[in-house]
Amino acid sequence: MTSDIQTHEPHEDYALRERGDVILRAEKLERRFGGLVAVADFSFEMYKGEILGLIGPNGAGKSTTFNVVSGFYKPSGGRLWFCGEEITGKSALQISRMGLVRTFQHESLLAEMSVEDNILVATAHHLRSHADRMARVRETAELTGLSGYLHEKAGNLPHGRQRMLSIAIALATRPTLLCLDEPLTGLQGQEVKTALDLFEMIRSELGISILLVEHNMRAVMRICDRILVLNYGRLLAEGKPEEVSRNEAVIEAYLGKQK
Amino acid sequence: MLNGKAGLALCILAGLGAIAFTLFVDSPYYVQVVVWIFTNALLAASLRFVLLIGELNIATAAFFGIGAYTVGIATTIYDWPFLVAIVAAPLVAAAVSALFGWITLKTKGPYFLLISFAFTEVVRLVYSKSNAIGGNSGLVGIFPPMALDPWFPALVVTIMGATLLVLFWIEKTNLGRLFKAIENNEDIVRSVGLNVTWLKVLCVIIASAAVGLGGGLHAYANSVITPGDFTFFVAVLALAYVKIGGEGHALGPIVGAVLLTVAGQWVAGLGMQENIFYGAIIIGAILLMPQGLVGIASRLAGGMFRQGGEKTR
Repeated sequence: MTSDIQTHEPHEDYALRERGDVILRAEKLERRFGGLVAVADFSFEMYKGEILGLIGPNGAGKSTTFNVVSGFYKPSGGRLWFCGEEITGKSALQISRMGLVRTFQHESLLAEMSVEDNILVATAHHLRSHADRMARVRETAELTGLSGYLHEKAGNLPHGRQRMLSIAIALATRPTLLCLDEPLTGLQGQEVKTALDLFEMIRSELGISILLVEHNMRAVMRICDRILVLNYGRLLAEGKPEEVSRNEAVIEAYLGKQK
Repeated sequence: MLNGKAGLALCILAGLGAIAFTLFVDSPYYVQVVVWIFTNALLAASLRFVLLIGELNIATAAFFGIGAYTVGIATTIYDWPFLVAIVAAPLVAAAVSALFGWITLKTKGPYFLLISFAFTEVVRLVYSKSNAIGGNSGLVGIFPPMALDPWFPALVVTIMGATLLVLFWIEKTNLGRLFKAIENNEDIVRSVGLNVTWLKVLCVIIASAAVGLGGGLHAYANSVITPGDFTFFVAVLALAYVKIGGEGHALGPIVGAVLLTVAGQWVAGLGMQENIFYGAIIIGAILLMPQGLVGIASRLAGGMFRQGGEKTR
């Protein structure tokens, strides 16, 4: 790793760290769309250096939670703190500048631009000199396995590489908290493994916490330190992967219905 | 295109050729046509500059008019010196466009298009109804200083050519890249900590300052301006130049302006049919060559221009 990465203090064993610093805290979070309650009474804490999974059946409110946390939707009720500072009602721009950066489920890249330009755009606010930006681009491309694709048009990349690029865009900002919205969708066996290795590396070597919304259960169980289970917009269960996977209510609401 | 040194050299050479033409060709009419070509190229380049963020800005016509009226008012009513008036034109256009952009760029697509159209017509009505600035008959007697007179077309062409180069240069910088990123997907741009609204406003300010300067020069070159010179149709023509030349490439608007301005000299006598001609050009270009002439040429040239940020669809 280059010296730039080393500015974040590496952590050792996250599974053993029961209670670190709280990086993200939600208190009675609520979001309604007209009469529809998408998320309600949702309180949780996320700790620094954690990989936290957010799962639930379709329509459980995962994406809504994501959009509220990242400021793309305003919460209808409740409060949010990020790194000790209240972010309730702050704009997506303000929140991303504080270091909470997200990816998107669909079209999470600039399809008409080159891979290099995609990552370069992400560095624009964070680094001043072009040399620094290019160094960050190369470094990020290397981490995400995109070094050989820098001059390809992003929209022409194979699907797996596109997913990697969407992570690279967020990663190039060197966030404190990286929110990944279904990053594994459509990835094949080996690609899933590579992605999970990347997440682990992002956390352990860059010291970036990860909030993960994902449908791939096996992957979630494998990579996450803790998991929050949402159902009908409410917190159904929370705990370590093995606890959640044994939870009766979760099995009934979610895992039981898995194909 | 412009990061190819050959392309840049070619453009500058063509510009110098045009300047020489206005200096040494002894036909006021042909010199006038060259000035029109540059004016139209600047209009088209300004329209295309806002297309970088994905918005069709009909108010390009309004800011062209605001530049022209700034010079007209400064010269005929306040007797400001040439230099002050010509600097004021882009500044006033930029200031008005900042306000316009800040209010309207919260909308996108057809909404922004309609608002920019309405704005253009409102500004024109304000000219028509304001007797202090000549009402419907506009302003007459906008002359450059006597000393400049013999070289004035050359000066206009030089300033306009330089403005075009500045617009291309900005498109090539990191800022231009951000504009294109917004056109691609503004949520992503926002998610990496960039102020999308401000960047959009900045794009409109730059385009409006450029076209405002063009409007100011047009006022001097023409000596007469009327509200009827600055209807939305000016922007429709600019769109025709962009479409026939190709919007994916910085050279597109210029190629389009050259061709259609020259062709326009033959259809100018047709009256109302003239508009049919331009309408047919827009439709034909969109249907038959969506990438425009420059797009086709660059494909034929085997990607000679590919570096220029051409959009491949």
